[in-house]
Parts: sequence; structure tokens; C-alpha cells
Amino acid sequence: MADYDADATELLETYDFLMKYIIIGEAGTGKSCLLHQFTHNSFKDHSQHTIGVEFSSRTVKLGEKRIKLQLWDTAGQERFRSVTRSYYRGAAGAILVYDITNRQSFQNLDRWLTDARALASSNLVVVLVGNKSDREDEREVEWAEASRWAAENNVHFLETSSLTGDNVEAPFLLCARSVLLSIESGSLDPDKAGSGVSYGDRALRRVNSSSRLSFGSLSYGRRKKATSKLRLKDYVPGTSNSKCC
Amino acid sequence: MTSPPPRPSTSPLVSRKPVSGSSPSPSPSQGRNPVSLRLYKVLGAGFEDEPTKEALRTLSELYGATTANGTRATLVNGKATKEDHQDDFDSDDGDSEEDTSEERKLSLGPFLSDEVVAPTGAAAHARKNLKRDIDVKLAGSSRKFLSALGGVDQKLDALQEHITTMRAQCDQAHSQLQTTNDACKSLLDQAGNLRQERDTVASQQSILNLFLARFTLTSEEVTALTSRDVPPGKRFFAAMDKAVKIREDCRVLMSVDGPTKAGLDIMTATSSNLEQAYDKIFRYLTSEFQTLGRGNRDRERSVDPDANLEASPTLKEAVRRLRDRPELLSDALAVLSQTRQSTLLATFLDALTRGGPSGLPRPIELHAHDPLRYIGDMLAWLHQAIAAEREFMESLFGLGREGAGRMIGSVRKFEKGRMGEAEEWVGDMVDKNVGKLSGPLKLRVQQTVRSQESPILANKIANLLKFYELTVRRTIGEEAALSEALREMSDVSNKVFFDALEAQGRALLRVILDLNDAALAPPAPVQDHMQALRDILSMYDSSRLDDSSAPEAEEPVGNGAAESSADYGVERVLDVMIDPALEVCLTAAEEKKRIRPTWDGPVFVLNCLTYLQDVLEPYAFASTKRESLNAMIETRVNQLAEEHYQDLLKDTGLNVIVAAIESKPAGEPLSHVDTAQPHELSAVLQKFSTWLSGLEVMHSPRLARLAVQRLHSQIHQTALARLARTYQSICEEVRKPENRYEAASTLLGGQRPFGQIHLLRQIFGLGDEDM
Ligand SMILES: Nc1nc2c(ncn2[C@@H]2O[C@H](COP(=O)(O)OP(=O)(O)O)[C@@H](O)[C@H]2O)c(=O)[nH]1
Ligand SMILES: [Mg+2]
Repeated sequence: MADYDADATELLETYDFLMKYIIIGEAGTGKSCLLHQFTHNSFKDHSQHTIGVEFSSRTVKLGEKRIKLQLWDTAGQERFRSVTRSYYRGAAGAILVYDITNRQSFQNLDRWLTDARALASSNLVVVLVGNKSDREDEREVEWAEASRWAAENNVHFLETSSLTGDNVEAPFLLCARSVLLSIESGSLDPDKAGSGVSYGDRALRRVNSSSRLSFGSLSYGRRKKATSKLRLKDYVPGTSNSKCC
Repeated sequence: MTSPPPRPSTSPLVSRKPVSGSSPSPSPSQGRNPVSLRLYKVLGAGFEDEPTKEALRTLSELYGATTANGTRATLVNGKATKEDHQDDFDSDDGDSEEDTSEERKLSLGPFLSDEVVAPTGAAAHARKNLKRDIDVKLAGSSRKFLSALGGVDQKLDALQEHITTMRAQCDQAHSQLQTTNDACKSLLDQAGNLRQERDTVASQQSILNLFLARFTLTSEEVTALTSRDVPPGKRFFAAMDKAVKIREDCRVLMSVDGPTKAGLDIMTATSSNLEQAYDKIFRYLTSEFQTLGRGNRDRERSVDPDANLEASPTLKEAVRRLRDRPELLSDALAVLSQTRQSTLLATFLDALTRGGPSGLPRPIELHAHDPLRYIGDMLAWLHQAIAAEREFMESLFGLGREGAGRMIGSVRKFEKGRMGEAEEWVGDMVDKNVGKLSGPLKLRVQQTVRSQESPILANKIANLLKFYELTVRRTIGEEAALSEALREMSDVSNKVFFDALEAQGRALLRVILDLNDAALAPPAPVQDHMQALRDILSMYDSSRLDDSSAPEAEEPVGNGAAESSADYGVERVLDVMIDPALEVCLTAAEEKKRIRPTWDGPVFVLNCLTYLQDVLEPYAFASTKRESLNAMIETRVNQLAEEHYQDLLKDTGLNVIVAAIESKPAGEPLSHVDTAQPHELSAVLQKFSTWLSGLEVMHSPRLARLAVQRLHSQIHQTALARLARTYQSICEEVRKPENRYEAASTLLGGQRPFGQIHLLRQIFGLGDEDM
């Protein structure tokens, strides 16, 4: 009876991967605003301080993959450090935010990165975000300097404005792409706990409902992805050739 | 006019003439021919009218028939001529050239050519015999007519006969038809009636069909609703919708027409169908919930709390529908809750004790030696589990979309009735699903907390628990089991914290000051004790710093109470910590002073008090305790100032005179008192003068042992000022005549400060103002 299978549309609502991200950085750098822009497409005015850790989620599309992002926003204050440290466990990505108009927030990055590397899985993808790019007049951290730091520490880098919404999707997508690439290259296994990634229902159905071959769509996607890989390079410090000047 | 062109100039014929060189026209002879001339004349006289031409043509035919020659041409010409006359010149391409040549013949006619060919005799003969010829011809023709008409007449007679027969037959047929018609009429009527009946029935049938379609379920629909073989899906839900619609419509109809048998039947049938459908949804949900609730655990042993539970659209739809049967839904959800509870519990225990399948992430208990991290990791795991449960439940109840971006940790109101019904279900479910985790959590937290001897750590744990209590309360509500458990744990850890503080206080109270220790600084045990307080206070302070910089928006959650209790907490901490310290300082000092009078108890106590005060100094929230300490210090300072003044009085020797003044009987001159006789007085003044030039005027060795320099000078100055006033009153007494000092001025002026108060105040470094 054909129309019992009409549930094919269900697939639209499900996702291929579930990824856990943690958003870190000094208090007041705009982490919560960045997330709010990302999840609500609007600027969160009169943002109040984050108390400890807050959760939100959003599903994004990357090529033909649907990825559900679980986002853990943390408070930057020292007194919450011990609390937030517990959330690195099992994160696939970390969005490390500083404020381009606040040098101090940039200088403290080392501490944050150390925490992240020590507490999260070894596959953790880190994206450095210089926020408040709309306040160019008050800039205290040059793009080039931050870019250098990112290259030295092997993390991605870009600047955003949670006020104007400029570039706010990029860090999340960039991170997701990176994680997907790790999965493709085999260095990350979503089936392993603690990787911060797991297969969504959609991917699972694909595995269950048909042969292993069809799941090969991941590696099949590799050829296609060659183009996106190129684009990715633009973001990755050190590999971008447009960066010399 | 001999020139040939009959129709000169004008006509294009003329110009075209030479082109048609083939013209057979015999123009040279024309000029001499009388007939031709005559004809020209006739033609010129206007015989061009159609009847004349026609007559002439007929005539020409008549004769043309006799002359074999030219007849053909004439006929051809005549025909062509006619056409050409009517047509314009450019009529037909092919003919146009010939036309020009034939045009000539048109006007000239066949006669002309006949005339040319035939001798003039023929014309004469014609003229002569024309009438006869015509008559003969007419007679011949008439005869032909006659014979022809005779034939026709015969045929007509025959026809007449036929017609007569036909008429007879027609009449017969007509009468037959008439009969038949009469016979048919009843049949037709009958047929008409039948047709009408059929139409009525047909429309009734279509109405009935419509009715049935609207008010009954098809057998497939019934199957979809009731059969176990058809899983809930599009068809099933569509059938349900229809059943519901039927019932609504039926109810409307019955409300108009009153209850009818059909209506009641329909209601009964659909009701049973629907109940079966709800039962089916219930069964479906129950079985789905049993497998779904197990989440990741079927696939692999995951210790991540964020097991990606998902609700399929069918599942959501099923839940939505079953909300019309809350008892069934609640039973189904109980199953889900059951599975979720046991799954979460198992996952939590694995996360605690076994870690991930590959050993990563490591088991949480690995860090049990680090209480803060241990408890923090457990609580964070829980927090994430709650978020995942909440997301799952929201999507199950279709709350997902609009809340997709909502911060789970953000403020949420939990007032029954003010939330949507679905919101209540969700809250309830999340509460139940994670509630069972309180057990293992509580066990571990309390174990850890109870084993804490350091109040600092106990306090940190209490703060951590308090923080999560707030977070969880915001997410799943105050009444949730887990909130309750966290509150309990945080109370316990708070109690442990205070117990530890009190124990420390008690231990402090047992301290006995070393009698041989001459030091006036706060004793080491008190200092250690206060260091602990310092740590706690700075912890409180940093948390307050964050809170005060956070906007007030959190009030609605009702943590105004939490805030004040936190303040109360600080007060209590201060009491519990400071009071024993005070007690040690005061009572132990008293005791020691009693045994060792040389030991400077008052200075020691002041030093202790100022030390305690100093610890509280940076914290605004400690103001109450600080005030009470301040008051104590002030009293002690005054006491010490009084003591110091008495000491100074003694040192300077002025005390003798003061005593004499105070003790002399009224009316007796001072100079008569033994100790204040001029000689004695002079000795005292000299002693005072000597003292004035000593170091102690500016500096008191005793007060120098006060830890706070400010108090030293404050007390010393106070005492000196009093001393100055005392000197002044002595001078006044001496100068009084009734005290009978001879040469009082000389007496006073003999020694510094020569009876001059302002000089004394100068020496003391005091201002002049209060003379
Ligand atoms: N001009 C500007 N202000 C921003 C931007 N992002 C955040 N802010 C402001 O920075 C402050 C701190 O933001 P918040 O998101 O609470 O920081 P968090 O502590 O890192 O979560 C708020 O007052 C925001 O209004 C931005 O992109 N541009
Ligand atoms: Mg924030």
C-alpha cells in the first residue's frame, strides 16, 4: 500500500549529524549576542550576563547535509570557570570569541585555548571569532595580528558583528564543515562517544534502509566537496594565498 | 474618312494594335465596301445597345450556319468578345494579346468577315429572303416544339397517374399513422412518467451517495482506522479527520432536525471507529515509546547525555491527536517516561563509572578526588541531559519550531495555567524523566560533601550546587524532583559548610593564650581563623560582583529570596567566624591580664579588634558586623584614652594638685592644703616642666604598641588635650584670690609653660581653638 510510505517527507525534518559546540571567551565579548543572532537572526539588545551555561540549538544545511547544532553558551567570568569547564566534555567544536575593541579579551585567548585543548576531545575544532567588527573606530586588535595568532595556534579565524549580523553564520558553518571533513578523512568517528558528533536519524535511516553503498554518499560527496574545500581554505589561516598583502 | 482605325485615338487598343501583328483584319478592302460603310454608319449611329447587338448576333448565327467558312472563328470571336467587353484589359495574362486582335472583330462583327469572304449576292439574298427564312425557321422550330411537347404531355399524363396513386397511398399511410399515434400516446405518457420517476430516483440516489460519502466511512477508511495491519500514517489520520468531521456535521444536523435514527447510528458507528483509532494510536505510541525511549543505547553504549532523540512527524501527529484522550496519552507517556528514566539512569551510571565504549570520555568518577570537578561534571552532565530531554519533549509536543532558538537555560515561568497545556506536559515529562537521576546524584554529592573538612571547599561546593539549583529550577521548574533534590543537596552542603565553620570556631575557643608571650599582636590561631574568613569573603565578594553587574532582569524567578538568603548567609558566616575570635580575644585576654598584670591587655584587645575590622574592611556587605566592631573599638579607645590620661597625670605629677583641688573642703584656701602649698606646687610645676621637655610629650611607648598608628596619636592627643585643660584649671585655681597664693603669677610663671595655656597647647601640638 503505497501511501503508507508517504512519510518520505519526514526526512526533511530530520538531520544527518548532531554536533555539540561550546562558545567561550571573556565576558562581554558578545558570545550570547552572537548566538542570538545565529539562532534568531536579530540583535539581542540589553543582553544580560550569562549565568553559568545556557543552551540553544539550530539546524543548518551544509551542501546536502543537515546538521543539528547544540550550542552551549558559557559565562566568561572567572567564578564560572569551574562550572564551564565541565562542558568541554564531548564538544565537537569551540567558538572562541574575543572583542576587537578590547585588547584584554584578545590577550586572554591563550588561557581559553589551553582549557579547550586540555578538556575537550582531541578532535575539537576551534574557530576564533573577533566580534564587534562594526566598531571599527575603536578597534584595538588588528585583523592581521589575530590572524597570525590563529595560524600559530592552528585554529580558524574570522571577524563578525553580532550587532549587524555580519558574518555570524560563518563560524558555525566553518566549524561544521571542518568536523565533516574530519569525519570524511576518517580521523573522527561519529559513532564514538565523546566526539561531540553523532549521526542523526536521517543518516541512520540511510544506513538502515539500504545498502552500505548508499551511505557512501559521504565519500561520494567528497568529489563535490573539492570545491567547498577550496572555499574553506580561504578561512583557514596559513593556507590562504590571498593573504600575503 | 478612309483611314482604318474605327476607334481612333484614345483606346489603348490602338497603341497595342501594331504589337498584334497577327491580326487577320482585312482592312484594305473596308473602305470600298458599302455594307461595311453602312454598317459603320449603323454602328456609328448608336446600335451598340445590347438588344440590337443581340439581334444582329442572332442574325449572324442564322446565316453563319450556312457559310462553312468563318463560322467557327466568329463563334469563338463572339464568345471572346463578350467576355472582353465585360472585363477590363488586364483580365487574363494569357489572353490579353489575343484580346487586342479580337477586339477588332468585336465591333465589326462576323458580318464583316463574311462580307469580305462572300460575294455581295449572299447579302442580297439575305435581304430578300430574310422574312421567309425566318418564318421557315420558325415553323420548323414550332414543329419541333410541338412534337417535343407532345412527348412531354404524354409523360405528364403518366406522372399524373402516378401522383394520384401516391396520393391514395399517402392518405392511407396518414390514416394509419393517425391510428398509430393515437395508440402511442398512452405509451408516451407512460414513458414520460417513468422518465420523471427515474430522474427523481437518480437525484435521490446522488443525494444519498453524497450523504453516505459525507456521513459514513468507506470500508478502506474503517480499515485504516481499525486494522492492526495499517500503521498510523497519512491515511489513518485522514480517516480520523473524516470521522471527526462526520460527527461534527451529524451533531449539527441533529441539532436542527432532532435526533434521527440515521444520525444516532452514524454517531454510534463513528464513535466506535474513533475509539478504536485512539486505541490504535495508543498502542502505536506505547510501542514506539518503548523503543524510542531507549535512544542511543540500542545502537551503541553512549555516555553522552545528548542522545539525539528525535520525534518523527507521525509520532508528533499521534501525540497531538491523543491529546484529545488525555488518559490514554498520559498512560502512553508513562511508558515513555519509564523507558527514558531507566535509559537515562543507565547512561548516567555508565558516564560515571565506565566512561565511553573506548574509554573516552573518561568516567566522571575518575575525578572523584577533586570534589569540585567531580560534582561539577556530574551536574553539567545532568544539565545537558535536561536540555536534550527538553528538546525531545518539545519536538514531541510540536513546540519545537518557535522555540527552536530559545535558550534552555534562560528564564522561564512555571505557573500552572499560564503555560500552554503542551508546555505543561513537556515540563511534567522532563521532570519525570530526569527525576530518577536525583538518587545516584544525591548519593555521590552528599558523600563528597560530607567528607569535606575544609569549609572553603564545602562552601565552593555549596555555591556550585546553589548555582545548578538555580539553573535547573529555571529549566524544569521549582517543583521538579531534581530541583528539589538539588535544593536539598545545596542545603546539606551549606550545612556542612556552617558545621565546619562552627567546628572551627569551637576549636578556636579552646585556644589558651600563652602567658609567657608578651606580644600584643593577635595570636596565630586567630590569624589563621581569620584567613579562612578572608577566603570565604573574597569568594562571596566575587560572586556578588558578578551579580551586581548583571541587570536586575532575574527578579521574576523569585531569587530575590535567594539573594537575601545569600546575604543572610554572609551575616551568618560573619557571626560564626568573628564571634569566637572576639571571644578568644576578650575573655582570654582578660584572664591573662588578671594573671599577668604587666601584660598590656587593653592594647592587645584593641589590636585584635582592629585586626578583625581590617579583615572586613573591603567588603560593603560586611558593614553590619563592621559597625558593631567599630562601636567596640570606640569604647575601648575611650577607655584607653582615659587610662592614658591618668598615666600622664601621674607621670607629670599634676595628679597631686588635681587631687588636692578635688579633695579640699569648701571654703578652705587651696594653698592651705598640704599637698598644694606654694612650695609643693612649685615642685610639681617644675616636675611638669621637666616632663614637657621629655620625649613622652610626643610619643607614648605604651601606645606605640598599638598596631594602628592612627589610634596611637588619636588616644595620645585626646589625653594631652585633657592634660592641657587640667593645667589650665590648676592655673585658674592658683590665681583665684580665695586660694590665697601670694605672687600666684610668679609662682606659675617660674616654670614652663609659665601659666600660658596656648604655649602648652603649642608644645603638645594641639590647636588653639577649644581654650
Ligand atoms: N557594537 C557591538 N556590540 C556588541 C556586539 N556583540 C555584543 N555587543 C554588546 O556587548 C555586550 C556584551 O554582549 P554579550 O553577548 O552579553 O557578551 P557575553 O558576555 O560574551 O555573552 C552587550 O552590551 C552587547 O550589546 C557587536 O557585534 N557589536
Ligand atoms: Mg553571555
